[in-house]
Amino acid sequence: MVLNDSDIQSIWLTVKLATCVTLILLLVGTPIAWWLARTRSRLKGVIGAVVALPLVLPPSVLGFYLLLAMGPGGPLGYLTGRLGIGALPFTFPGLVLGSVFYSLPFMVQPLQNAFESIGDRPLEVAATLGASRLDAFFSVALPLARPGFLTASILTFAHTVGEFGVVLMIGGNIPGVSRVASVQIYDHVEALEYAQAHRMAIVMLIFSFLVLLALYAWRPNGRTTKREG
Amino acid sequence: MQLSMKVGKRYPDFQLEADISLAGERVGIFGASGSGKSTLVGMLAGLLQPDSGEILLDGECLFSSSATINLRPEQRRIAMVFQQHSLFEHLNVRNNLLYGFKRCPAHLRTIDFTDLVAVLKLEGLLERSVTTLSGGEKQRVALGRALLANPRLLLMDEPLSALDDVLRFQIIPYLRSVSEHFGIPYLFISHSLVEMRLMTDQVLMIEKGAVVQQASSEELARNRMGQSPVGYINLLKLGRPAPSAGLFAYPWGSGQLLLSVAADRDCSLVELSSKDIMLFKQHPEAISARNLLRCDIRSLFSSGRKIGVELECAGNTLVAEVVQDAVNELDIVPGGTVYIAIKASAFRMLPG
Repeated sequence: MVLNDSDIQSIWLTVKLATCVTLILLLVGTPIAWWLARTRSRLKGVIGAVVALPLVLPPSVLGFYLLLAMGPGGPLGYLTGRLGIGALPFTFPGLVLGSVFYSLPFMVQPLQNAFESIGDRPLEVAATLGASRLDAFFSVALPLARPGFLTASILTFAHTVGEFGVVLMIGGNIPGVSRVASVQIYDHVEALEYAQAHRMAIVMLIFSFLVLLALYAWRPNGRTTKREG
Repeated sequence: MQLSMKVGKRYPDFQLEADISLAGERVGIFGASGSGKSTLVGMLAGLLQPDSGEILLDGECLFSSSATINLRPEQRRIAMVFQQHSLFEHLNVRNNLLYGFKRCPAHLRTIDFTDLVAVLKLEGLLERSVTTLSGGEKQRVALGRALLANPRLLLMDEPLSALDDVLRFQIIPYLRSVSEHFGIPYLFISHSLVEMRLMTDQVLMIEKGAVVQQASSEELARNRMGQSPVGYINLLKLGRPAPSAGLFAYPWGSGQLLLSVAADRDCSLVELSSKDIMLFKQHPEAISARNLLRCDIRSLFSSGRKIGVELECAGNTLVAEVVQDAVNELDIVPGGTVYIAIKASAFRMLPG
């Protein structure tokens, strides 16, 4: 066997985490991206900067503050305590929540670009054809932004698979709960199990390459033949 | 259609103040680029909100700043055809056409899908992706899509300006069908006088954000003759020609015209500039121009520094332009007669 049970468990946990985060961010990130793409509010710059913060912030810093927020004395911890959910640190839901914050720009920014590239005109046309704003969003904006959704989903999934610092700060290293693939590699190296670390790393490397290959090789709509006249 | 608009809209570098009251089925808005035409129709469609004023269409208030009424675009039943067709690229031709139709309440649907597809000659295109259509096909689909929304008014914002000359005149009959076949009134926006005369009965002229003139399209063309580099464009409908000594003889009223170009159809539309008609007091002895006609002078009108002469030739009307000195020397007065000469090469066959 190339990978042991613990390795496979960490890979399965990683895939589960990345899938959950991608699905949640599709729901959460889409309205944020739409608002950022359409608004003329002065708050646009502030919200845009907050969304982009995980791009430049050290993961340990983000993880530290999320840990404090989720702890019993933090606002999130207080809220989850009141709701009877309990403390989130070192749990899978806590890991999901932290990863949602960490991967937010990877979902929002491609979607925002996709929505901005549509422009106003198709939505204006839809309105003059009797479509309400919500109708135009679902019948025109979403389908036209489909390439952006694919890009954003792939980037979010891949980024979540590769995260390490935030996971370690919020989730620790609990098998089956928070020990994801990147942490498992770290554990192998700590234990001087280089062969095991190498196998896991190869799996991650191949996965990352395939994700990027899919992203760059894919062309929206393919080439179209246009006639003159 | 009865439209009343008294609106104001201010931008940092542009201001529009319009006070319009008009009734008609084929109305044009004429003006140069940046004059405010698109701003005006944008406010009418509900895509732009006026700073102040009131918009009434067929007695219904679409916007009123004093009564804080501002119907959303989808509530106004005013469809638009834009300069760029703006078709939905994720939908095929059929689904583009049906987009507005599906959103129109059933009791308001008066235009039949099959009938529209036949009139606009879209039968062979229905399952095609809109990205594979030519420019003219795209504009026909955009027109059909707007019509199938069953609007009470159609706004056409320079729908021909992105097309070349050939396509432009091929599309015009389809645009005219909006009123002629489907009975939907329209506002046609353009900066082309020829398009205005082919598409509209009355025209609002806009300059620098203000309506400066409201006239028939014919009056507007005559008023602007003196300022236009091409003068007044006479539009002649000619029948099928017959070869004649290297030229082509077209029946025209009770006479005929010799043109250097041949038409391949039974009815052609031909342009002739008022600048290309030469007037003579008496029959010239010898002249190279192949068309020499005796005409009655109906009326004179001034346009800038030029005098327009409305002539009746072989049962048809032509407008020629001359300067005041020529009017005096040739004694051009209504009721008189003159001879006109036109070169066979002066005519321009419009595609279509």
